[in-house]
Amino acid sequence: MFKELDPILHSQLRLAVMSLLMSVKEAEFTFIREKTNSTAGNLSVQVQKLKESGYIDVNKQFKDNYPLTTCKVTPKGIEAFENYVKALQEYLQVGK
Amino acid sequence: MHDNEKELSQEESLMIIQQMINAAKHEQKDDGKGWIAWGWMLFIASILTVVNLHFKWFSTFFFWNIFGAVTLVMMIVGVVKGFFVKSKGRVKTYTKSLFEKLNAGFFICIMFNIFAMNLGVGPAKGFALLIGLYGFWILIYGTALDFRPSVIASFITWTFGFIALFQTDFEVVMLLHAAAVLFGYIIPGYIANREFKKLTGRKLNQSAGV
Repeated sequence: MFKELDPILHSQLRLAVMSLLMSVKEAEFTFIREKTNSTAGNLSVQVQKLKESGYIDVNKQFKDNYPLTTCKVTPKGIEAFENYVKALQEYLQVGK
Repeated sequence: MHDNEKELSQEESLMIIQQMINAAKHEQKDDGKGWIAWGWMLFIASILTVVNLHFKWFSTFFFWNIFGAVTLVMMIVGVVKGFFVKSKGRVKTYTKSLFEKLNAGFFICIMFNIFAMNLGVGPAKGFALLIGLYGFWILIYGTALDFRPSVIASFITWTFGFIALFQTDFEVVMLLHAAAVLFGYIIPGYIANREFKKLTGRKLNQSAGV
């Protein structure tokens, strides 16, 4: 039986955000927006969904009077991502 | 990426993961400027010490004292800048965190060495041990960045350090020290800088659609 792909991760932008955050310790919102080539509004919604799922931590603060949002992946997020990649590998092996 | 709820195929998912991992990898590249500056400072101090030993202008460690003062000023400026100037780093990578700790440990070890030289180890042996320490730093830095020239350079540096261990003439030790920093820091620094420029040039071309 195949594992079902995690619906939270199985979305273009959310998967991109998680893949990026898996590779770094933490990243600012502007960095993620630039690397994923997304709009601020869309990214904001997806980041909120990932946060509600407990996959990422979002820290909002002010620096020089500008809002500064940083994101980092949580242990739950790491586990979910690893399971997603495993499931993906199973699908791809059978598809060969 | 606009269509956030678009149905993804497994291949597309894999491609996104790969793209993002590569994007993060680019953030871990070093422009080599730090190695070049540090390398030239050490190199010039070594060579001027050799010249000074020949012509006996000043005391033996005159140029090393200047080097120490300049390094101290640069470190203070760096710390003050870190506190007051807005950081451009919009991402914190595991490599950057490792380097912060590595650099702190490196400078503490240098201080240990300088104290040891003043407590009886002597400058000739002390500088040979310092070269060994440079080799260790270069190896870790090169490995973390997956930068082969630095990994090779670390072994060259250690070779100079090992030879220096058996020298009693401080002038020869200084020449070996200069050679070690030339091969350990300066040359890999210029290679890293050239690669970094190529990479940033490619990124600029990509974003301009060239």
